[in-house]
Amino acid sequence: MSRTETAGAPVDDAGGDEEFDPVGTLALIAVYFAILVIAWVYIYYIEFLGRDLVVVG
Amino acid sequence: MSDALEADQTFYDKFPAESRVVRSSLLGAFLALTLGAIFGIIQTLHRTGIFRGLIASTDYYTLLTAHGVFLALSFTTFFLAGLFTWAVVRSLDRPLVNIKITWTWYALMAGGMTMTGITILAGLVDAVDMSADVLFTFYAPLQAHPLFYTGLAVFIVGTWLAGADWFRTWLAWREENPNERIPLQTFMVLTTMIMWYIASSAVAASVLIFLLPWSLGLIESVNPTLTRTLFWFFGHPVVYFWLMPAYLLWYTVLPSIAGGRLFSDPLARVVFVLFVLLSTPVGIHHQYLDPGIAEGFKFISMTNTMFLLLPSLLTAFTVVASVEYGARQRGGTGVFGWLRSLPWRDPAFTGMMLAGLMFAAGGFSGMVNAGMNVNYMIHNTIWVPGHFHLTVGTAVALTFMAATYWLWPQITNKPIYSSQIGLFQVVLWFIGMALMSNAMHAQGLLGVPRRTAEPEYSGFDYPVAFGGFEELNVQIAIGGTLLFLSTVLFIGNLVLTMGNPRVSGIAETLRPALSGPDDAPEVLDDLRIWSGIAVVLVVLAYALPLAAIINDGGLFGPGVGTYPVWIDAAAGAIADVTVSAAWSLVDALALLGSRLLDAAVAGVIA
Amino acid sequence: MHIHAYEKIWLAFAIVLILLLLGSVTYGAVGPGVAMVADSEGQIDATALDEDERFAEPRVEQVGENHYAAYVVAYQFGFEPDPIVVPANSRVTLHVTSRDVIHGFEVVGTNANTMVVPGEVSEITVEVGEPQEYGLLCNEYCGAGHHAMEGKLHVVPREEFESSDGGESA
Repeated sequence: MSRTETAGAPVDDAGGDEEFDPVGTLALIAVYFAILVIAWVYIYYIEFLGRDLVVVG
Repeated sequence: MSDALEADQTFYDKFPAESRVVRSSLLGAFLALTLGAIFGIIQTLHRTGIFRGLIASTDYYTLLTAHGVFLALSFTTFFLAGLFTWAVVRSLDRPLVNIKITWTWYALMAGGMTMTGITILAGLVDAVDMSADVLFTFYAPLQAHPLFYTGLAVFIVGTWLAGADWFRTWLAWREENPNERIPLQTFMVLTTMIMWYIASSAVAASVLIFLLPWSLGLIESVNPTLTRTLFWFFGHPVVYFWLMPAYLLWYTVLPSIAGGRLFSDPLARVVFVLFVLLSTPVGIHHQYLDPGIAEGFKFISMTNTMFLLLPSLLTAFTVVASVEYGARQRGGTGVFGWLRSLPWRDPAFTGMMLAGLMFAAGGFSGMVNAGMNVNYMIHNTIWVPGHFHLTVGTAVALTFMAATYWLWPQITNKPIYSSQIGLFQVVLWFIGMALMSNAMHAQGLLGVPRRTAEPEYSGFDYPVAFGGFEELNVQIAIGGTLLFLSTVLFIGNLVLTMGNPRVSGIAETLRPALSGPDDAPEVLDDLRIWSGIAVVLVVLAYALPLAAIINDGGLFGPGVGTYPVWIDAAAGAIADVTVSAAWSLVDALALLGSRLLDAAVAGVIA
Repeated sequence: MHIHAYEKIWLAFAIVLILLLLGSVTYGAVGPGVAMVADSEGQIDATALDEDERFAEPRVEQVGENHYAAYVVAYQFGFEPDPIVVPANSRVTLHVTSRDVIHGFEVVGTNANTMVVPGEVSEITVEVGEPQEYGLLCNEYCGAGHHAMEGKLHVVPREEFESSDGGESA
């Protein structure tokens, strides 16, 4: 991935030349995904469809 | 290119004339923020029933209109104008082509907004037959004073000219650098403005063809569904117009502040292209419960809206990965442990990160808003302002304030007066908004409506869930008060910063991306293609609904009256408008001042 | 164009999420049968409602075996009829229009919620259950007295409904 460096990039961070795996980001975003799915299921199927006077026509 | 050169010079050193434009734009934004915050705290306390002594409930809607227009249109757009001017000049590393043009658009924007603002605030003064209590959506047949619409039109023309200014500067740069990729920041500015031109054309048409002539009495009536639809044609992409400057900061400034680099320049470009394509053909999702629009059009709009989640979800990944890269560079380890290695003492960093976190929460309520039939549950409840106080009210506003701590020294050579106050301020905003927005969402699920001076009713009580109506009101009031205090601290810190002497050696560098622009397909930079596809998508999404609305109700409505909220005694005062406008501003400010003073005195005595 | 493997994973999850959202809404439409208010009814002259046979006298009337129609007018600042009285355990189609500006029609704490636009008729059908009193409010800003605009929806036992005159003078 060294060709992905731009010409003017400073070379102070050696890590920039290797493939960087954002494993922490993947973990955080997996948590976010789980929260979204659980919250959606609650709001849509329990709160919304459980209410009185569902509009059916 | 520019990044290597800029290391020891600030933007102020290199581009003093452009710095002035950026400063003036930001100051315009902060003036709007101050006014908006004052109206905000009055509303919060009034609506929740904590303190209703300052204004009558009928005047609540004047302040609500002002709060919406000053914050959602003025604060956001002026900040955007300053930021984009900075971003274009910095990333192209060349001055604007003609600074006179630049000051012309600034004057148009400022003049237009002043006109509109005066018209709104005149609603507080009974002696003046002028007001615009129509809220920032100005749904006909409620009618504002003509000056309100005129000011909006002038303001929008100002933004168009600003966009032309940035495009022109880019074209001049391209002549000088024929084979270079568009620098990322400029790419973001240009794509955002393409979206803005497409979106604002509809509201400009609505104002110039229908609302303004109607308010002047030239046409008798309008078709409310048509003007509403034209408003939302503009009204959804406008939220991306607020958001794109925040994205620009998250993509291009935040990684450097964190000690990292942008994870992927190509994906950033893809995200902005997706916004150009998808942000406009979705406006009908604000009209899910409109009677005049067929269900099929609503479903198409929902599908587009859901796919519009993609660029934001991709942004979440790219920005967090860029920050994580910084943390790893700073020695961070572990799956979550790296979070400890970030510069949390820096208000610019912490503010932007908290803003991003709030945006993640706002993402959820946005998904609910986007769901077509679930809209029955939350449409026009206070859930909706709960949502957009997370997005525009925090993701955007808090990012702007946080970025100011980083940007202001670069455009003035004056260091921030107090970083500690800055840090406290951004955290306070986060806490205040967490309280207020959470309670607003919860009240929305109880069915509490938005946009009302007194949400309690004589004939019924709200159901109890997630805490009762009253305790949620207290939560909203506490949250709103903290937000007001946070704004005061922000403005105070900035004013004290302006008194600092200029220093040298505070230049900051923005570092290039890990995966740079060379990795991005050339076609991403072909703005003509994306503009063309965007227009086609908009036509596909809107041609049939608009045709159906006009076919059903006619261009000028199916027999609808006119309900001016600006004439008490029917007087054709249009000729006197300019004179009375000036006086009414003086009156309005004096009145507001005296009422605030009264309230303060009452508070001291109590 | 180089895209990191993790980002591709996230892109896949994002698309799954979008399909879950679209799938839920579609399920709501075909399963429980949630229908959107739409342009099912024609235009109406908002300035001449007193000449319209449905809205000249806002009322509730029987239109089918267990099916009732409510004709409701929203105005600055109230609803007519008020209260709207309907019999328990029936199907009710609400036809709501405005005499003046844009209003909202929200039965508090329920899913019965629609915009009310002058010149248009909002038509929504709901199934009502056991006798109950619901609050009704306007949830779109409609002028200086907006916060005072409220009403009631009374679901009453069938005998009580039949002994009244359909709610007009209730």
